Amino acid sequence: MHILDTAKVQICLALATVLLLPFVLNSGILATEILIYAMVVAACNLLLGYTGLLSFGQGIFFGLGTYVAGVLTTRWAVPIPLVLLVAVVLGGLVATAVGWFSIRRQGVYFVMLTLAFAQMFYFLAYTFSDITGGDNGLLGVPRPQIMGHVLDGPWGYYSFVAIFFLVIFAVLLVVTRSTFGRTLLAIRENEGRAAAIGFPVRLFKIEAFAISGAITALGGALHALLIGIAPLESINYHTSEMILVMTIIGGSTSLFGSVMGAGFYLLLSDTLSVIWPRWLLLLGLVLVTVALFFQRGLWGLVERGWDAFAERRKGPQKEAGDV
Amino acid sequence: MSDIALQTHGLGVRYGTFDALSDVNLSVRCNSVHSIIGPNGAGKTTMFHALTGTVAASSGRIELEGRDVTRASDDDRVRLGIARSFQVTSLFPELSLRENLRLAAQGRTPWQALIPWRRAEASKSVLDMADAVIERLSLGHVATRAAGELSHGQQRRLEVGMAIAARPRVILLDEPTSGMGIDDIEGMKTLIRDLGRDHTVLFIEHNMGIVMNISDTITVMRLGRTLVEGPPAEVRDNPEVKAAYLGNMITGDIA
Repeated sequence: MHILDTAKVQICLALATVLLLPFVLNSGILATEILIYAMVVAACNLLLGYTGLLSFGQGIFFGLGTYVAGVLTTRWAVPIPLVLLVAVVLGGLVATAVGWFSIRRQGVYFVMLTLAFAQMFYFLAYTFSDITGGDNGLLGVPRPQIMGHVLDGPWGYYSFVAIFFLVIFAVLLVVTRSTFGRTLLAIRENEGRAAAIGFPVRLFKIEAFAISGAITALGGALHALLIGIAPLESINYHTSEMILVMTIIGGSTSLFGSVMGAGFYLLLSDTLSVIWPRWLLLLGLVLVTVALFFQRGLWGLVERGWDAFAERRKGPQKEAGDV
Repeated sequence: MSDIALQTHGLGVRYGTFDALSDVNLSVRCNSVHSIIGPNGAGKTTMFHALTGTVAASSGRIELEGRDVTRASDDDRVRLGIARSFQVTSLFPELSLRENLRLAAQGRTPWQALIPWRRAEASKSVLDMADAVIERLSLGHVATRAAGELSHGQQRRLEVGMAIAARPRVILLDEPTSGMGIDDIEGMKTLIRDLGRDHTVLFIEHNMGIVMNISDTITVMRLGRTLVEGPPAEVRDNPEVKAAYLGNMITGDIA
């Protein structure tokens, strides 16, 4: 394991991100969005990087979370902590169901099944417009309150999300470093052998799926509270694609890579979309570049940069030692 | 407990219309070294697949210490005490040698590994098992190296080690010496013979020197059936075996 990938360094990087974003960015909304997507992308990384599962279904869980927040707050005024809890539980359950079917198949067929489920859930949301608001989505999702004080300022809600982000990031660090996480790596490396030495591989994959789905739904709910609506786009296939693109740009070998991937994508789209309406084209070029030259993503660059730096520092010291 | 560790009754495996294995009656005695020989395509590896649950038996029955395991899944059979090594090396190449063995040892109690907050270091017996196997294979000096970076001989030893780490009753080795150099082969021979003391070893091998030297029983297979079964001396002198092997002389000294 690379020195920058140890749990201590990773959590420090996450903490530094939370503390620095308010100083770097003017928009609290953008900063909050980065943290929300960072946890969602890290959850996708658990599947892609650690288990080797390319899931096009992440949008299902994200959308589910936004609808849970939308429905529960606008219809029944359910308290926010309970809303978030329901999102996590439901996200985990739906992911278990989707995983249970998809994981029966491997490779391309698995990917196609997750894609099919993504489309199915999109049309379900579109069709059951009494619940989901169909094309219009659900409007008027309120911000959470803390001690009677509504977090309607951008940075107030940022702090609220930051706590969730740090907790989720720590949870994922524990999961990826547990026996479970290390078994996932083994499954990614050589699934046949993992089964041959006694691991019920499907169960491990389903569990990874459930954890990933629960976190993604939490992210979706937090996002609905951020922007005040639960839009149909949240459950669209495009959301799945965006989460995957962020994961790949960030690099799939480290959790903080996912934070970088989310940040890079959102900052780039925020900057470019002002300059040029066809900015998605440029994003395509970025993705091609990453796929061709930087397969380990932004995180790979960071590791390489660190190694070069460490090498340079070690060099003179060694010479001094020789003398 | 009977002294038969692993037994098959009329075992058959069918791939489509092709009978890869038919009517195989095998019985492997406890704590014996039992080898399976036969020309390519005789069904040796298919039999291993059927015994470990990688492929389903289309007919017949498999018993492990008197218990019917024909319908048990492959990971269930590991818990019941069958472990195997592969003919083509199949490791976790990017993980360290120690991690490979730790996983193999953990595979015996996989439910622990489903707890997402449990640290690997919490299973002391698993770590001890991995270290014991490293010592047994004399691979301590490369324990932290990625398995994919090891030499072929080291990888073949690790391949066998993966099976040992599961603490199996019956250990199945599929051509453990394939592609090994002469020096390494001697070490492997000693290893297999030693394994026979605390385990039951069933192995497929083409190197007749090893087969004749360390086997208690030899089963000769041809075209998906067993041809002859018996102690080395008997098998070597059997006219049917000689005919099956034609040009391939069975040589090697009997210890």
